[in-house]
Amino acid sequence: MGFVTQGADVALVSLQGVGKTFSGRTGAWEAVRDFSLDMAEGEFFCLLGTSGCGKTTVLNMVAGFEAPTAGRILLDGAPVERPGADRGVVFQGHDSLYDWLTALDNIGFGLRLRGMGKAERRAKAEHFLRMVGLTGQGAKHPSELSGGMKQRIQIARALANDPRMLLMDEPFGALDAMTRAVLQGELSRIWAETKKTVLFITHDIEEACALATRIGVMRRGPGGTLKAIVPVDLPFPRERTSDEFMRVFREVHGLIHDEIHGAH
Amino acid sequence: MALFMMRSTVRIDRLTTIGGYIAGFALLFLIWHLAAVYLVKSTLFPPPMPVLERGWMLIEDGILQEQIIASLRRIAQGFLLGSAIGIPVGLAIGSFKPVRWLLEPWTEFFRFIPAVAMITVSVIWFGIGEESKVFLIAYTTIFVVIISTAAGVGAVGRDKIRAAQCLGANRWQVFGLVALPATVPYILTGMRLAMSNAFVTIVAAELIASNDGLGKMLWDARLFMQIEDIFVALVALGLLGFATDRSFRFLIRAFAGRFNATV
Repeated sequence: MGFVTQGADVALVSLQGVGKTFSGRTGAWEAVRDFSLDMAEGEFFCLLGTSGCGKTTVLNMVAGFEAPTAGRILLDGAPVERPGADRGVVFQGHDSLYDWLTALDNIGFGLRLRGMGKAERRAKAEHFLRMVGLTGQGAKHPSELSGGMKQRIQIARALANDPRMLLMDEPFGALDAMTRAVLQGELSRIWAETKKTVLFITHDIEEACALATRIGVMRRGPGGTLKAIVPVDLPFPRERTSDEFMRVFREVHGLIHDEIHGAH
Repeated sequence: MALFMMRSTVRIDRLTTIGGYIAGFALLFLIWHLAAVYLVKSTLFPPPMPVLERGWMLIEDGILQEQIIASLRRIAQGFLLGSAIGIPVGLAIGSFKPVRWLLEPWTEFFRFIPAVAMITVSVIWFGIGEESKVFLIAYTTIFVVIISTAAGVGAVGRDKIRAAQCLGANRWQVFGLVALPATVPYILTGMRLAMSNAFVTIVAAELIASNDGLGKMLWDARLFMQIEDIFVALVALGLLGFATDRSFRFLIRAFAGRFNATV
């Protein structure tokens, strides 16, 4: 069963022998096999793997978008059955924003679903708009914002709903390298500020080393599963050129090396 | 500053567009004039000036407005009725698989029976009064609106729905706050297509069975060989259709253009 932290009663999320097999016309595809992980409250867990290793499938199961075909997923001890407001998701593409709403109304969308009054909602949305560094951009529509700004809006939208945890599916994957680095820094700051538990999916080793308190390296699919967990005990903000950072980078790189070569 | 520049370019764009329209129509009338005066040289193809003069006379007598209003009223009634039925049916087809299985054969069947072919039945059923025309316009509207609405529901991005679900939306909130607004551009586009169908249908219906309207005007003018009147009716139809389509496009832009670059 592997990587279960000490004292399962402190785990916020617990994946226990989780597997997922998709069946289609071309036959069955085992995306994830025997995946076990306990995540503690407040940690920033990066799930790192090559494309097609099943990491997004893991996130989709924790989010409740897809049901596991084996094992079980517990959130606060209760099985996950469907998507819910306790797990905020930041999607890879910005297609999840509502084009007909302003940035501010996008951020306040979850609050509106709960029936919060307009003034209160607005004030709260403004607060999170400020947190993601977009003060003054609230009246714009998504089509008027850049790719990086859209991802900021997504993060603000998820946070404004005050979920127990954030699930982030390669949120910076489509951005240019500079914007990505800036947003990684901002995300670290926001994480330190809000103390949210984060499950962050990525295929970028440096990104994982810059953000995570623990990095889970996935074994290549089919039947993707956890290969190793690397704790990252470096202080924030992380100095990417420091020797300690390079040491972690090398360790993770060594672990994923075999997976990269042969994953095409 | 940037905002100001954006606004002024928008205004210049709009002026260019309107200027283009005017120039385009002027060119059309010029070619028409040249063709009639120098090429065809027949009383059966009058040049634009006598037609416009005749049109002005008919307006002064209040006759042309009467026909236009008669036709437009039928179009409006049938179009609104057809949309009022087509939109919810399209939403249901797009949202619920059983409804799709049940109703898709209907839409696929009826949309190949043109409204013009339904004129005979509609006259038998409803007589030559208003009902038959409104029925035909509604008929020609419904299926186009159903198909584009259902397609719109099917095109709502998966992540948009998932995002709402993990923000705590129930089924009805997903439908009302996500699927519906995301479908609006498709609905409006379907209505715009249906509107041009409605213009085709109203003329055909009035040609065959009516006491007034532009189609009736065309028919009467043919009977009495009032060639200018025929052209007045044709120009009126073209201008009305053009104006309606532009206003529709304007509406789509105003309500939905922000998030739909394809309009």
